[in-house]
Amino acid sequence: MTQTASQPAPTPQSSGTTAVTGRAANASVVPSSSGFTENVPRLLNRIQTIGIVACVLFGALAATVQLLGWQANGRAAENTEQVVRAQEIQSLLLRADAVATNSFLVGGLEPPAARAEYDETIEKALRLVADAAEAQPADRQVLADLNATISDYTTSVAQARDNNRQQFPIGIAYLNDAGTLLRAEALLMIQAVVDANSDRAVDEMDAQHPWWLIVLTLLTLAVLIWLNQQVSRRFRRRVNAGLAIAALIVAILGVATAIHAGVRNDRNDALRDGAYRDAVDAATARTAANDAKALESQGLINRGSGATYEAKWDEQAAAVDYSGVLGDLWQQYVAAHQQVRDLDDAGDWEKAVELATSTADEAPTAVLNRFDTAAAERAAKAGAEASDGFGSGDGISLALIVVTILGALAAAGAVTRGIDVRRKEYF
Amino acid sequence: MRLKTGLATFAALVLLAGCGGYDETTTPKPEEPAAPSAAPPPDCTNDASALRSYAPTGDVGSGKSVQEIKKSGKLVAGVAGDTYLLGSRNPDDNQLEGFDIDLAEAIGQKIFGEPGHVEYRVITAADRIPFLQDGTVDIVARNMTVNCSRWEQVAFSTVYYDAGQKILVGSGSGIETPADLAGKKICASAGTTTVDNIRTLVPDAEIVTAPDNSRCMVKFQNGEADAFTSDDTVLAGFAAQDPYAEVLKTERLSQEPYGIGVRKDRVDLVRLINQVLEDMRADGRWKASYDEWFKDQLKVPGVQPPPVYGR
Repeated sequence: MTQTASQPAPTPQSSGTTAVTGRAANASVVPSSSGFTENVPRLLNRIQTIGIVACVLFGALAATVQLLGWQANGRAAENTEQVVRAQEIQSLLLRADAVATNSFLVGGLEPPAARAEYDETIEKALRLVADAAEAQPADRQVLADLNATISDYTTSVAQARDNNRQQFPIGIAYLNDAGTLLRAEALLMIQAVVDANSDRAVDEMDAQHPWWLIVLTLLTLAVLIWLNQQVSRRFRRRVNAGLAIAALIVAILGVATAIHAGVRNDRNDALRDGAYRDAVDAATARTAANDAKALESQGLINRGSGATYEAKWDEQAAAVDYSGVLGDLWQQYVAAHQQVRDLDDAGDWEKAVELATSTADEAPTAVLNRFDTAAAERAAKAGAEASDGFGSGDGISLALIVVTILGALAAAGAVTRGIDVRRKEYF
Repeated sequence: MRLKTGLATFAALVLLAGCGGYDETTTPKPEEPAAPSAAPPPDCTNDASALRSYAPTGDVGSGKSVQEIKKSGKLVAGVAGDTYLLGSRNPDDNQLEGFDIDLAEAIGQKIFGEPGHVEYRVITAADRIPFLQDGTVDIVARNMTVNCSRWEQVAFSTVYYDAGQKILVGSGSGIETPADLAGKKICASAGTTTVDNIRTLVPDAEIVTAPDNSRCMVKFQNGEADAFTSDDTVLAGFAAQDPYAEVLKTERLSQEPYGIGVRKDRVDLVRLINQVLEDMRADGRWKASYDEWFKDQLKVPGVQPPPVYGR
């Protein structure tokens, strides 16, 4: 029921403050028994301001959190692409080394197909380095250094090839130098790029914050409820319509955005442990496999040092841990490699070289090529899946951001209306 | 109005926060590999007595170890596979050839009476003594220097070649004597006495080291060193692979007497090898082998060192 201005307040309503009722024209303070006085219009103004600020702040902060989350997912997708790109560079460099060392075994008669593959692989790697530097400015310096190192590597390989063609054993030293440069310098650099971008990608995957949104919502609701309490204490109405509508809007927005953020977070986790992990593992296995093949050739080129290179081969082989199709292909290569080692260890170096450079289907080179192709396909597919996954749902995110802002403004409007009604009644 | 400006600032800050870049990627520094420790100083004296071997008395073919080898049908020789002119593979016919290979062939022929019984095993320098001791190879013909501390682990034939340290330079570089190396860069294999020798001889030269001789040659060819010092036989092999390199005709800067390595207890095999060396001296095979491999590059006539017995 509506209070009329002429009726005196029956009893003090709560802890020590006396509600002052009186005509608006007579809007001066009436002392009460407790000595406290209150200016209701000013109070209403304050309540309205606080309410509006709370709603608008909620809108701004909630929109900000969602915007940051949307940006983070975008960056997660980009960082994933950079990881895939960097790992492809790694695989290509070791593939080039595998091809170059295998060709060296054939002596000066390097097969033209092998030479073409080496050139193509290096070219592809260099182009990817340029792409990677453009995609992530923070990687630029390391990638520039990598470019210089790849250039030194290809020079060494060319010198090895030229000396080999002249039948000079010093070609072996040049090839060893190239291999050392690749593994001691170039690979460290590209591994740093892979690691840095992996860390960045995983950080961005964790940047959805559903709990922040929930906390924000609860805080805003608490403020609105408190305001409602303040109003109802003075106006004997339990629920102020405007404040209630505002609280409802805030609650709905809070729940919707928190659920959306939660869903994205879960999906990010699933991608991180699924497609992203798959892409990284497949690329790592491909790199290790090509490294192993190069070491197999080096073990034969550096005749008499088979045992040293075999120890390194074992290290690389341990990094390839797969079942299924990839696992089968890898086991085939392991068996073929063992045949080569058995021949060399028994003293038949020439037969070992023949097998290692044979182009037959069951020979180690062809088997490894099949593994390489399969692993490359798998890495590319999983990488694309991960990066698309991070980017999906972008439309909903943006829509929710807009809805949040509009909703917050609507809530602020509701608060204004709600308090205005009270103010009108008061006067 | 204040609210609107506040909101605008807020939005701007949010966008800025989102546009912040990442930290620069850096490569972690790799661990420095442990520097190769210098070989401990020998606790015996390297004088003429270290070169003494066993005299080839009596019937050299009747000793126990020689009979064992004859029975097995093959003489396993540990050799180098990539040291041009001493022991390396000829890609044309895939055969190993070189000065050391010729010696191994001669020894095999003495034992079996005909060629074709030598089984070659390419080994690294580090494997020479262990493989003799465990029987993986019967002899080592791999430019192995005779010295007193090695005599404590294996046995040697009498010296078959007096190698020594020399210097390789670029042709037309103007370097004719070691003194000309002052202020120039000279490469030597790390951790060897070669480095110390050259430092004493030419204190003003800048020493550049490499893990092994081949890498030193690579540095020389790439212009990172003006000269390269090592055993004259090794240098001959490198000079043969580079028309623009030549070995200076100086005195040897150190002594590296080469001997064939044999397991310590196979004294009768050593006597047989010493007999082979005397046979090669008498019928000119040693000189023919030297002329074939080293004459062109070293440009000095080869002299087979006289045998020293008495052990």
